[in-house]
Amino acid sequence: MSTTTLTHDEAHHHEAPKGWRRWLFSTNHKDIGTLYLLFALVMLFLGGASAMLIRMELFQPGIQFLDPDLYNNLVTNHALIMIFGAVMPAAAGLANWMIPMMIGAPDMALPRLNNLSFWILPAAATMLILSFIIPFFPGGGTQINTGWTIYPPLSIQVGMSMDFLIFAIHLLGISSVLASINIIVTLLNMRAPGMTLMTMPMFCWTWLVTAFLLILVVPVLAGGVTMLLFDRHFGTSFFDAAGGGDPVLFQHLFWFFGHPEVYILLLPSIGVLSHVIPAFSRKPLFGYKSMVGAMLAVATIGMVVWAHHQYTIGMSLGAVTYFMIGTILISIPVGLMVFNFIATMWRGSMTFETPMLFAVGIVLMFTFGGLSGVMLAVVPADMQYHDSMFVVAHFHYVLMPGAVFGLFAGVFYWLPKWTGHMYNEKLGKIFFWTNVIGFNITFFPQHFLGLAGMPRRIVDYNMMFTEFNVVSSIGAMIFGLSHLILLYIVIKTIRGGKKAESRAWEGAKGLEWELDSPPAFHTWTVAPQIK
Amino acid sequence: MAAREDNLMSIPEHQTPELRRRNIRLAWGLAGLALFFLVTSFPFWTGIFRIVGTQALQ
Repeated sequence: MSTTTLTHDEAHHHEAPKGWRRWLFSTNHKDIGTLYLLFALVMLFLGGASAMLIRMELFQPGIQFLDPDLYNNLVTNHALIMIFGAVMPAAAGLANWMIPMMIGAPDMALPRLNNLSFWILPAAATMLILSFIIPFFPGGGTQINTGWTIYPPLSIQVGMSMDFLIFAIHLLGISSVLASINIIVTLLNMRAPGMTLMTMPMFCWTWLVTAFLLILVVPVLAGGVTMLLFDRHFGTSFFDAAGGGDPVLFQHLFWFFGHPEVYILLLPSIGVLSHVIPAFSRKPLFGYKSMVGAMLAVATIGMVVWAHHQYTIGMSLGAVTYFMIGTILISIPVGLMVFNFIATMWRGSMTFETPMLFAVGIVLMFTFGGLSGVMLAVVPADMQYHDSMFVVAHFHYVLMPGAVFGLFAGVFYWLPKWTGHMYNEKLGKIFFWTNVIGFNITFFPQHFLGLAGMPRRIVDYNMMFTEFNVVSSIGAMIFGLSHLILLYIVIKTIRGGKKAESRAWEGAKGLEWELDSPPAFHTWTVAPQIK
Repeated sequence: MAAREDNLMSIPEHQTPELRRRNIRLAWGLAGLALFFLVTSFPFWTGIFRIVGTQALQ
């Protein structure tokens, strides 16, 4: 019996299939993780290109080369591509690669569903890109000039490109929910014997919470855009005041999704930091249980404070007070996480390889973004900052360090494990410094622009804003082009380099570091015993 | 050998039937949760029913 089983196993499952079928029909978590990461990288460059066009337009006052509607279409497209196309798939890529290896499982719990979750994404991305391109064709209708929030009534009036966008959001939502279901089932049912929830690696915890958040909020966005579709084509008036509907209802639905989405983007990166900082401080993570508690608090409170994005709609005093206090409360568990990271570093034998540089950069810059978030949470102050460049500066300080730099840290931390090669540390550090300096030159001046009154989502601006816009645009070019270094490092590391050991980093701990670098096509076919 | 055989579950056919059942049951439960949020946390369906009702009365 056992001979038969092993023969079957060796023949079918211990070697990677060859050719395109390997990728199209893959049920292997590592291959699907790679697909997610490559997809995210492509989308990062697409979204980055649109951002650079936006900053080129804003280099000088006056309209340079972008029609106002096209400018706003680029703004819309940039946000959607970065959020749904780059950050979320990259985080899902890390999850696919690392979760089974970290918990001692041979694969995700539902491998075929995993394949489906990924392959929905290229279709969704095609729809998303079409929504941008369609208006350029005769009869293609107007540009999507709404921003990523697609508020009605404007989004009801936009041409057919909005329908493409709505279907793209549906597909992206389905992909996210299916991936989340798979991750939750894997984490709850597939852990190695002896690994309890409270001994699970922190990256897994962050993904468990993220996946639940996705399941709870993505369907609400799907419902909102479905109603929008009905208003556009089937004569309903959910959001049309003329028919008895309420446009503000859409804002509530959108932000019920949109605010937890911020934590969906952040938490996986917090998980990455929870591994990188201990590894390069050569100390265990400070306050594991409090980190879990803080994360659950962030997720819970984050679900019920969505309307701080809509203070200016005219809510009652009681409502805005509730949303203000709730929002400020979030800074307590977030502050606890930052405290734990600093306490982990405290008196550690720290070294500053590229992942750790990103980690320390995140702690500093994300905290800065959080502080401007507290400013925005205060209702009377927000009345002034609302829809200004201050908000753009704030959310880029939260999302770039909080989400994207965290993903970069993860990529550099685990790249030796995935490829079997060490990346070029000198290039990694050059990438970090150009990236971080470029980022700060781009977004720091935008705080002042916003405080001085420059509105966001406007193609032109007053002469008085010129200097800071010039600085910001120059920074954006440095920032955008720095990602070519990342691309070069990744390609170079995949193709060769110094051989990585199983435990690529001296201070790295966890089951994934017990496996070869690169790991076999199937790992943990014998579940490890956790003591 | 026996230990290895017991733990082979990398591909669905190598998950024990009991584990596979548990996985699928939990997945359906979570899908139900997502569906619940889709249909009940906002007035989509009530709006549809109202429209259908209004048209039926006309």
